Amino acid sequence: MKDQASGLRGLALTSLVAAMTLAGAAQAKVTDQDILKDQATAQDVVSNGLGPRAQRYSPLARVNGDTVQDLRAVWAFSFGGEKQRGQESQPMVKDGVMYVTGSYSRVFAIDVNTGDELWQYDARLPENIMPCCDVINRGVALYDDLVIFGTLDAKLVALNKDTGKTVWKKKVADYKAGYSISAAPMVVKGKVITGVSGGEFGIVGKVEAYDAKTGKKVWTRPTVEGHMGYLNGKENGITGGEAGKSWPGDLWKSGGAATWLGGTYDPDTDLLFFGTGNPAPWNSHLRPGDNLYSSSRLAIDPDTGKIVWHFQTTPHDGWDYDGVNELIAFDYKDGDKTVKAAATADRNGFFYVLNRTNGDFIRGFPFVDKINWAKGLDESGRPILSEANRPGNPSESTDGKKGKTVVAAPSFLGGKNWMPMAYSQDTGYFYVPSNEWEMDIWNEPTAYKKGAAYLGAGFTIKPINEEYIGVLRAIDPKTGKEVWRYKNNAPLWGGVLATAGGLVFTGNPEGYLMAFDAKTGEMKYRFNTGSGIVGSPITWEQDGEQYLSIVSGWGGAVPLWGGEVAKRVKHLNQGGTVWTFKLPAKDEMAAR
Amino acid sequence: MKNKLILAIASAPYSIATRLMPGLLLSVALLVGLQLALINPAQARSYDDILAAGRISVAVYRDFPPYAYEVDGKATGLDVELAREIAAGLGVELDLHWMIADENLDDDLRNHVWKGHYLARIEDEPMLRREVADVMLRVPYDREFAYKVDPDGRVINDLVHFFGPYQREHWGLVYDSQRMESFENLAVFQYERVGVEIDSLPDFYLSSAFRGRLRNNVEHYSSTALALDAMAQGRVPAVMGMRSQLQWGVGGLAGSERIKTADIPFPNLTKRHWDVGMAVKDAHRQLAYRIEDVIDQLVANGQMKALFGRFGVDYSRPDRYRVQ
Repeated sequence: MKDQASGLRGLALTSLVAAMTLAGAAQAKVTDQDILKDQATAQDVVSNGLGPRAQRYSPLARVNGDTVQDLRAVWAFSFGGEKQRGQESQPMVKDGVMYVTGSYSRVFAIDVNTGDELWQYDARLPENIMPCCDVINRGVALYDDLVIFGTLDAKLVALNKDTGKTVWKKKVADYKAGYSISAAPMVVKGKVITGVSGGEFGIVGKVEAYDAKTGKKVWTRPTVEGHMGYLNGKENGITGGEAGKSWPGDLWKSGGAATWLGGTYDPDTDLLFFGTGNPAPWNSHLRPGDNLYSSSRLAIDPDTGKIVWHFQTTPHDGWDYDGVNELIAFDYKDGDKTVKAAATADRNGFFYVLNRTNGDFIRGFPFVDKINWAKGLDESGRPILSEANRPGNPSESTDGKKGKTVVAAPSFLGGKNWMPMAYSQDTGYFYVPSNEWEMDIWNEPTAYKKGAAYLGAGFTIKPINEEYIGVLRAIDPKTGKEVWRYKNNAPLWGGVLATAGGLVFTGNPEGYLMAFDAKTGEMKYRFNTGSGIVGSPITWEQDGEQYLSIVSGWGGAVPLWGGEVAKRVKHLNQGGTVWTFKLPAKDEMAAR
Repeated sequence: MKNKLILAIASAPYSIATRLMPGLLLSVALLVGLQLALINPAQARSYDDILAAGRISVAVYRDFPPYAYEVDGKATGLDVELAREIAAGLGVELDLHWMIADENLDDDLRNHVWKGHYLARIEDEPMLRREVADVMLRVPYDREFAYKVDPDGRVINDLVHFFGPYQREHWGLVYDSQRMESFENLAVFQYERVGVEIDSLPDFYLSSAFRGRLRNNVEHYSSTALALDAMAQGRVPAVMGMRSQLQWGVGGLAGSERIKTADIPFPNLTKRHWDVGMAVKDAHRQLAYRIEDVIDQLVANGQMKALFGRFGVDYSRPDRYRVQ
């Protein structure tokens, strides 16, 4: 009986192997090696950021300054239905199949050759969820034969890559307590690593690792001082050692610091890098202290979830300068010495270069034109505050009047928000999608919440310049110099891609996919996708031709806030389309 | 999809016609029905539509005792009972529309009165219809709020009609008399702890008052009800919150006789009390007038006071009924 069974299995295996051979590489599973080498292997994109360091750099050079004008749209795939709003996803491509997420926690598998849909998965969302900031999703992780993504009701879902059927599903946090997931998870050493999104109060950020094949939780690491971490179900040390060191009273219990943008991984130092959001409550006058580890970058051991080092960009944040923006590992030469660095462009308007082995501050400089909340950074990278530009304490407004207005720059949407920058290994520059805007903040005593009198803060975001808000910048991390800039009327909200073809790609809310010369900033190509672009482009090679894809669909956080910024974007139409381009081989030949 | 649309349009005028109109007007009614279906995507309905449908949907906050909550799957609470009185007063059936509170009242009005939440889209509808309620309860009644303008000078809630104040709400503070001696002012909380609902006005007030000297003794709970539970279990000796919530909560605690209300000043506390009313979409004032008639009667004949009494809450009349 037993022998017979194994004999049958042997037979099945043989025919499976035969099928695999026939179908070419179509059955290959994604391995840890595939993810680690993703940047170098141009025939697929199996990680968010084109490699675990998320440099968003591709070694492909077929599309370059000479050939980019021959880039052709080969298909456009609509997410369909009435569920549009912001599309902030980065597609993935493996063996001729694209895996991409849409708004409202949807996943699509598409045949790259034809643009045909292979399957679609719609997460069944509970009727009573209240995610804070639109219904976006930033993409999937691929591992083994699984497509893994996070949902608006804070679950991780693993789907079979061929059928779209659910293999496992895990609740990461309770949506009823205000948690959600919008970031793309990542896979490191067989574990899915995810953070959580959450509203203004009552939540505590965390980073968690799950066994990618089974969904079993391996470790959890809260990001607020005083909370216990766990490894394989056992206590694994309190974050920050103990409670109450940098928080008054019991506020650490609900300290915020959401890890809503996910993280990056540096194989060289074997560290995960996660950013953390602003502390709660929003009124900083109620919580004197640094409020660790809010608005920080954390380096975390991927095996245990221990925090190895931290760097806080905005201590005692009172401006909602989330510290979530991606920290990208890169090496540079200082004389003969190779510096193991990592860089991040913070919401607070400063660009930081850190020693990625220990979190030491190497240098920092403004990357936007106007910063007034701080006069600069000291030698340890800590901001030198301008306290006059800290939003006031609403409780001091006892006369029921609006109180004085504070102008703070950048606005709380940041010098740079979630949209990922790119690092070119050829030029050594970072390409930073940034925005020039400031905010007015005042105390609002005429406010109510859930039937009760309340003290709110009123705010409005204002452009600093008439002609533009968005600025795509090429920044030299060694000198802090801006090499070139491209000015955009609407705020930039989409990711960037750099290639060995000497090009930098990004999209704008006006709907254009654009390509710039990486050295000069000259615009070499643009194509109108029909709705605003707030997603991140990818490129890969298939059958000897270079492809490029970007998701188009206006939305995200910008249209949720009105004021003067609304005037620049209110005419933009929603959408939900993956555009795929390629450079046909014949055009590449012609260009030579 | 198309068939369904036609059916939906045809069915509503049919009931209007049978109840109120002779057959001659059927075609007119059909036309009106068609326009309503297309022009009114948000679905808040006029008084006539509500009468025609025989149903009214009333928005109340979910899990918010003593105002609206469920016991063994059955809805109850001050606002739920009031919603039942309103439906009965109009002679229609009640549909409860449960709300999850957003960050502030402006958001709740947008989500439940005039626009609908972007996730509350009605599936399989041809238009982008989102469910909203006909009327929302527990809406603070404050002229200054109602006419509040945005930085460009536009009235923020211009699509909302505020009406029908039915209760005055107050802040209050209760303490366990076996764990604390009576006290005459807030200074005692430099030494004793006090529970509050996180991100509420009592939270801001106690955390900021007297240059933050009480701050380290403020204990945060995700609701006032949980703070009261903690007090019952001896984990915190005092709680500050809305008076009607405190009265209801204390009434249900074991050893409630030990719990006393502190009659102390709250220096510099903005809005020690405020009136609570209702909201409808701006176009539906006729509905508001009819509901106001129902409320007037409940207050005048003492039913409102009795209703609050059933939940252990002292009824405090809003301004509207004090002036008379």
